[in-house]
Amino acid sequence: MIRIDRRLFEHFDMVLMLLIFLVCMMAFFNLYSASFPPKGYGSPPYVKQAYFFLMAFTAFVFVISFDYQVLHSWNYPMYAVIIVLLVLAETVGNTAGGAQRWINLGFFKLQPSEPAKLMLIITLASYFSRKEISDGYSIKDLLAPAVLTAIPFVLILLQPDLGTAMMLAIIFVTMTMFAKLRMSTYVIMGTLAAGLGLFAWEKVLKPYQKQRIFTFLEPEKDPMGHGYQVLQSKIAVGSGGKFGKGYMEGTQGHLHFLPERHTDFAFSVWGEEWGFAGSAILVGTYFLLIMWGLYVAMYARDRFGVLLAFGIVALIFWQAVINLCMVLGFLPVVGIPLPLFSYGGSSLMTTMLGLGLLMNVRMRRFQNSMSRD
Amino acid sequence: MTQEEDKGLKLAFKDIEEIEERDDAALDLLKKRLLGVAVIVLFFFVVIVLRLWNLQITEGPEYEKRSYGNRVRIRQVAAPRGHILDRNGREIVTNRPSFDVLLIQEDSHDIGDVLKRLAPILDTDVSALWAKVREATGNPRYMPVRLKEDIDWKTLAYLENHNRDFSGIRIEVQPVRVYHYEDLAASTIGYMGAISKKELDEADKNIYSGEDIIGKKGIERLREKDLRGQKGQSYSEVDAKGFEQKQLKTVEPLSGREIRLTLDVDLQQIAESYMDAGEKSGAVVVMEVNTGRLLAAVSAPSIHIKEFIGGISQEEWKALLDNSKHPLINKVVQGTYPPGSTYKMVTALAGLAKGAIDENTTFYCPGSYSFGNRTYNCWRKGGHGSVSLNRAIGESCDVYFYQVGQRVGVDGLAEFAQKLGLGKKTGVEMEYEREGLAPTKNWKLKSRKAKWQDGETLSVAIGQGYNLVSPLQLCVMTAALANGGKVYKPKLVEQVVDIEGAIVEKLQPELVSQVTGLDTYFKLIRKGMEEVVQGKAGTARNVAIEGLRIAGKTGTAQVVRLAQYRGLKEAAIPYEFRDHAWFTCYAPADKPEIAVTVLVEHGLHGGSAAGPIARAVLNQYFNGKSGAKEPSKMVPVVIDPEDGTIE
Repeated sequence: MIRIDRRLFEHFDMVLMLLIFLVCMMAFFNLYSASFPPKGYGSPPYVKQAYFFLMAFTAFVFVISFDYQVLHSWNYPMYAVIIVLLVLAETVGNTAGGAQRWINLGFFKLQPSEPAKLMLIITLASYFSRKEISDGYSIKDLLAPAVLTAIPFVLILLQPDLGTAMMLAIIFVTMTMFAKLRMSTYVIMGTLAAGLGLFAWEKVLKPYQKQRIFTFLEPEKDPMGHGYQVLQSKIAVGSGGKFGKGYMEGTQGHLHFLPERHTDFAFSVWGEEWGFAGSAILVGTYFLLIMWGLYVAMYARDRFGVLLAFGIVALIFWQAVINLCMVLGFLPVVGIPLPLFSYGGSSLMTTMLGLGLLMNVRMRRFQNSMSRD
Repeated sequence: MTQEEDKGLKLAFKDIEEIEERDDAALDLLKKRLLGVAVIVLFFFVVIVLRLWNLQITEGPEYEKRSYGNRVRIRQVAAPRGHILDRNGREIVTNRPSFDVLLIQEDSHDIGDVLKRLAPILDTDVSALWAKVREATGNPRYMPVRLKEDIDWKTLAYLENHNRDFSGIRIEVQPVRVYHYEDLAASTIGYMGAISKKELDEADKNIYSGEDIIGKKGIERLREKDLRGQKGQSYSEVDAKGFEQKQLKTVEPLSGREIRLTLDVDLQQIAESYMDAGEKSGAVVVMEVNTGRLLAAVSAPSIHIKEFIGGISQEEWKALLDNSKHPLINKVVQGTYPPGSTYKMVTALAGLAKGAIDENTTFYCPGSYSFGNRTYNCWRKGGHGSVSLNRAIGESCDVYFYQVGQRVGVDGLAEFAQKLGLGKKTGVEMEYEREGLAPTKNWKLKSRKAKWQDGETLSVAIGQGYNLVSPLQLCVMTAALANGGKVYKPKLVEQVVDIEGAIVEKLQPELVSQVTGLDTYFKLIRKGMEEVVQGKAGTARNVAIEGLRIAGKTGTAQVVRLAQYRGLKEAAIPYEFRDHAWFTCYAPADKPEIAVTVLVEHGLHGGSAAGPIARAVLNQYFNGKSGAKEPSKMVPVVIDPEDGTIE
């Protein structure tokens, strides 16, 4: 199975790889500035991020080594493993920031909620490629994928990691819509979503999560409290102006006005130091990466490949858009990192695994699905 | 291979092809949807780029301002306050650096531990330090808490050497006032204190802030604008927690203007020491006769400036308010008393000017005077016999002036009292000056709703009754008598010099009013006044100084006396019911230079209680010494008491 066809190298997608490296290079540069001066003990974040990148790149290479069709057949055992990990994280995991999220593996703090996102994409792609209906899926057809989504969704919500749980829901909605739904399904799903939303607001959302939404609506009212982060981020990005304050010259970041400046708000540091020009380049690179991902999906050799590629692109797209909207003051602070750009091993690992699968789909676009060669 | 087999295989292949064709069609449909997806992606990215444009290009300059405001902290650097000097340039109030211990809570690893170790070094207890920290609750944690002001050099050296042991502790240097002569002229110069909320509300917010120390009283308050200087600013870059990261720029503060007072330290000191020695309550005013310069202005007892530094405590404030000698009142302008016999010059001038008497008019004094159905006594029970104007002033004959007053009438007396500066504010640079009172018939009708009784005119004529003057007014009057009728506005500030040495203000004598055409009468009165000191029977013979001709007048201001004390020996009368003693004079009599007015509250007799103080001042001024005798060892010269009692 790990046999690598020589032709595979010929089909290795240099454009995709280049775009990935571009974003990662900008991320390193930015992390160096965002975590300067280094404080505390241990390696500074940009060094750690480099290690994470090497690990993630190793995983990337591993992921492109086998035919992605394997995932199709190994789907359910893998799904089961992730669910077990989520349960473990919930019961024996490490606590950080008020949420039970991590399993300490010694060398790596695994957040099972991160691979759960990928797992859901694989599962849904697998399901929708197995069950093919030309005139769109009915609500009955969606029962199984809904349950498959709901299990990790509830487990992650319990942690309570609202941001990641929300991502699962978004992936579900995006992928089912892409797979084509009947009109009746839209109506029923819409009604259900509204009901669920109302229920969530009343019963599930914690006060601090509600507070975030309130302060998002009027950040200027509470400049030292919850609205502080959004306001400081807007000041950082806005004060960057046309060409920025210069590398390592951002005052908002370096003087700690920006919260989470190397994780969720890494883009604010970038926007402050490189201005509109730099921001446009970074955002443009993301745009190209996502468009290229859709191009990969377009030329995938089979339905599973298209759905898988689409799911991965959707994941990266939504995370990027939500993070940027949050940083630019369009959305409340929800704790979603900017893929590849924010500091964090688990997020980078997930993104690189996803991009590895994308590369996998790309490299095997000419191979026959039935292994008749 | 049979035909059937072949056919079957063909069928099978056909099936597969059909399936594949159907698969391909569905796949193409799915792939077509990707185009729609691309449009949606494009839409989101366009929105994000537009938002970036809006934030960074359109509103960029606005956000840049906000980021600047975020990171730059402007700290005020207190300006050294202007010095206050005496007329000869001797420093009365200057500045010195005060080293204050500040705590920055945000900066401290363990506030409890730091305070515990700091308390013995600052010679205080931990709870007191904690109290200060608690006072600052609600302020941002980067705002310094002032733990102790003005630490000594030893403490400073220790803290500087061990600064690593005290996290969050910072030393700040601030200019504070130094009083070179302690409480010298305290009621005139005043003191400093923390700006109050009310003062801050009324102040220019560009100049003052909540932590400022401003002039609270006296010259310090009235000349605040000159003295305060201009604060400096230090711009430093701070991080989100308020820690200073680096110094950006500093605007040095500008020192306040130097004020040279008209006061003379020596005269002021002499006068104060004489008042203090007898634990006297009252006032001494020394003024240049021909300019209005105040050479000394004493209000006794003095406040103690030390009590006011860093805010006066409730108990100390209450003690000052309850003190029967009223140290908080500047008696030079706020104390008004009946002028007593010192008013007789007014009566004499009015009598002469109105033609009621002339140089040769004599009255017979049998020791009392009957008017209406009452008897008005002269202070000398045996009477003065036949008295002329000269003797009447010199020996302060009451009966003489009863009759002059009666002839002139109360309004005529008031007219000349006002011409000599009584009954209205002098306009000196002192706070809460009172007008005093030169009563008229109209005044009584208006304020007392009663008709003037002719008998009251007799009381007014000898300076009792409704009459009220402040020591400063009496000094101005004395000067006017000495200089032939010129009423000068008393002045306290000789000149104001800015830091570049430029004189921004210089004293100009200010003539308020002038009595003209009465020179001969003034001469007569001055002759009588000289008689008071130089004459054989003068009421202030004890003031005489060899080689100096002094002219003056004693006075006794009656304190409303209860019937039970009437006829008691003076020593048996409780302090607060004893009469006030006046002495006012000028010298040299032939060519007047200065006027000296002394009031001793409840001092009983002008000659004996107030006279020696004036004498010491004159001696200092003309001979450069305070006289041979120490104030405390002074043997009072016993003279006849003068007392204009009304029965």
